[in-house]
Amino acid sequence: MNFAIISDSTCDLNDELRAKYDIDYAPMNYVIDDKEYPAMLNWQYHSPKEFYDLMRNGTRITTTQVPREVFIDKFTAYLKEGKDVLYISCSSALSGSYNLATLVAKELAEEYPDNKIYCIDSLISSFGQGGLAIMASQLRAEGKTIKEVADFLTENRLKMNQAGTCDSLEYLRRAGRVKASKAFFGNLFGVKPIIISDIKGQNYAFKKAKGSLNAKRAIVEHLAEVVEKPEDQILYISHGDDEESAIMLRDLAMEQIPFAGCNIGYIAPIVGSCVGPGTIIGFCYGKEVTIKGDD
Amino acid sequence: MILSSIDASLWQKMLKGGYLNLKRNMTVIDQLNVFPVPDGDTGKNMTMTIEGGVTGTKGDFSSIGEMMKSFSRNSLLSARGNSGVILSQFIRGIAVGSENTQSFDYNSFKTAFESGKEYAYNAVAVPTEGTILTLIREGSDFLNSHTFDDFEELFTSLIKELHRSLQHTPELLPVLKEAGVVDSGGAGFVCIFEGMLSIIRGEEIDDTETLESSNEFVLSSGFDENSVLEYGYCTEFILQLLKAKTDIDAFSLTDLTKKLEEMGDSIVTVQDSSLVKVHVHTFSPETVIAYVRQFGELVTVKIENMSVQHSEIKAEEKKKFAVVATATGEGLSSFFTGIGVDVIIDGGRTNNPSAEDFMDAFKKVNAEHIIVLPNDSNVVLTALQAAQLYEGADIRVIKTKSLAEGYSALSMMDLSVDSVEQLIEDMTSCLDSVSSGYVTTSTRDACISGVEIKKGQWMGLEGDTVYASVDDPLAAAMELFRKLPDIEEKQVITAFYGKGADEEEIMKLEEAFREEFPLIEIGFIEGNQDVYRYIFAIE
Repeated sequence: MNFAIISDSTCDLNDELRAKYDIDYAPMNYVIDDKEYPAMLNWQYHSPKEFYDLMRNGTRITTTQVPREVFIDKFTAYLKEGKDVLYISCSSALSGSYNLATLVAKELAEEYPDNKIYCIDSLISSFGQGGLAIMASQLRAEGKTIKEVADFLTENRLKMNQAGTCDSLEYLRRAGRVKASKAFFGNLFGVKPIIISDIKGQNYAFKKAKGSLNAKRAIVEHLAEVVEKPEDQILYISHGDDEESAIMLRDLAMEQIPFAGCNIGYIAPIVGSCVGPGTIIGFCYGKEVTIKGDD
Repeated sequence: MILSSIDASLWQKMLKGGYLNLKRNMTVIDQLNVFPVPDGDTGKNMTMTIEGGVTGTKGDFSSIGEMMKSFSRNSLLSARGNSGVILSQFIRGIAVGSENTQSFDYNSFKTAFESGKEYAYNAVAVPTEGTILTLIREGSDFLNSHTFDDFEELFTSLIKELHRSLQHTPELLPVLKEAGVVDSGGAGFVCIFEGMLSIIRGEEIDDTETLESSNEFVLSSGFDENSVLEYGYCTEFILQLLKAKTDIDAFSLTDLTKKLEEMGDSIVTVQDSSLVKVHVHTFSPETVIAYVRQFGELVTVKIENMSVQHSEIKAEEKKKFAVVATATGEGLSSFFTGIGVDVIIDGGRTNNPSAEDFMDAFKKVNAEHIIVLPNDSNVVLTALQAAQLYEGADIRVIKTKSLAEGYSALSMMDLSVDSVEQLIEDMTSCLDSVSSGYVTTSTRDACISGVEIKKGQWMGLEGDTVYASVDDPLAAAMELFRKLPDIEEKQVITAFYGKGADEEEIMKLEEAFREEFPLIEIGFIEGNQDVYRYIFAIE
């Protein structure tokens, strides 16, 4: 029996990639001036430029987890067709969506006893989560069962590594989505935090670099340290409306690490509202993450 | 009048009352939100969750069971956020537990509450104590171990118990204790029950205004009528020495410090001309203040009881790392303190600090490893000597030869690292690439590094090399940047502006710099130093 792969708004996969790998997603919402907009990965309500300009001009954008009825509708649509469902969620350290999905899955399991629903906590977000969804799709194409794919993800999710930097830790702090040691004076002028996703799936500013070029070098250095078999994978870079920086990061990385290619894309609204404009993040697959941020 | 049962109609009104009171406190609860994701929306999420139940459940119901079926479905649909989802499952549990209930009596209410507890705990994969779940569980335990004749009495006692449970949440969840708050979801839960009680008492709930702040959920200080003063008072003040009271030139900071040592400990004293800053832990702050007032008057004063939770108790513990640095000028000193320096030694313009000054500073900080930043090429040896003589801690001198280098080291410091080696590695990571730039006036005619300098002209220097001597500071700075040999490799310039630099000049410099060096970031920090109009950390 075939199965559907569903992710959510933080997987940051654009229309092309989702179509290519047949990945659906459950939208979260973003909120501007008390008005809620579904966080569509095709930027239906605000273009990337509009969205990040709002942030640049000081508009506070907040987010909500995937609403319950969205999960029910998404999952039911596939279950009705007789398909099983594999949901790959945003890190549970960043969103309550995973938790809610497991509740919904439990309820739906009673209604559809013959179907399987697996919810996997990706423990990462953006292209890290999207990358895991693509790997799941590739395994599905190889004929693996939903259980085999789910087990693979659970076993290997922490091998997806993240290294990024942002203009200001302020957005992440305000959104409550970063751990940085108390002694981290991340807002010192010109001092850039290097942010990884730790073993709990929490963003963690684990070191700093002076200047944006040095920050990119530090990102590449981290990716080089953790990557395995780069020739068999694509480097994923996501950015908060700063393509120039993303390209610079790509060039620095490709010079040093023999990736098979590179995909550059926007950080979609949910992650974007938490990290802010000017953020760039690189993702690659390799060694299991061992860094744990402060509690 | 004794209220021994609650019918569907009253119960529906109570739920609405709970909702209105929660809504009223929404902002207050948002502000408490630090767990699990501190995004400040718990109040809003919980309000919207229960709002769905209230607005979606219209009309008259003949039984509680029937009414709750609708209420539960609607709140499940509008559930959002972690506390909202748990709340909606609690409500669902109540609905399941009261499925066949016409009206609540004490027993059926207890049963429904317990069913709510079961559902709430099943709502999360890994239940965390110190959250709304703890309040629900302890509320249920309380109901099961007490009997009541009257629902008003029941709700009054239950709310008291929920408050007790809420005050206890920081003991169960360290992140709350650290932030000095009670759990936000738990606070929201209490608000709902308080709103319900208001309805029982026939009180109106004013839902026209949203409270911006409330004392209700402030974590109690831990110091009450039975406490004893265990740690004394952390006392800090700035003393303005007064000519009318003392001979300022003859005033001795060392003597004052010695006297303070008789009155308390953890003493830090800093003097900047006629201002003296003092930090002391003492059981008798009034004696300290009476004593120092013979020399002048207090400009600011702060006295905190250290037995009160979340105060400076932690500062009493031996720290793993501490930083001692020299600095000149109040602006730079307070900036350095702000970014992690524990003790500043006055670098002085003419008098370099002595080894003894360093030793005194080492004594003031109670740490395993002390990092020293001499910040002046003439002070490096003194610091090294002090490090050799001192035996109370592991002293590491980073040989910073200028304030710019000292700043560079501090900006890369992360005190949460495990080893002192890692700390030193971080702090020295950028030192090789820091250039120290200065803009200042010449005190005499001279010819330095081939540049003719006239007395009073503005010079742009890097280290000891003069790159420019011109008529205004802005031009001196720009000329310095242009001539600096490795400027293309630099990424960040941090400019500490000194006395005499006004906003207009800084804006002009920033503009001129951005125009000419668009790839280099420049930022300005108030250093308020004498002599140097600008000190640049060029990295």
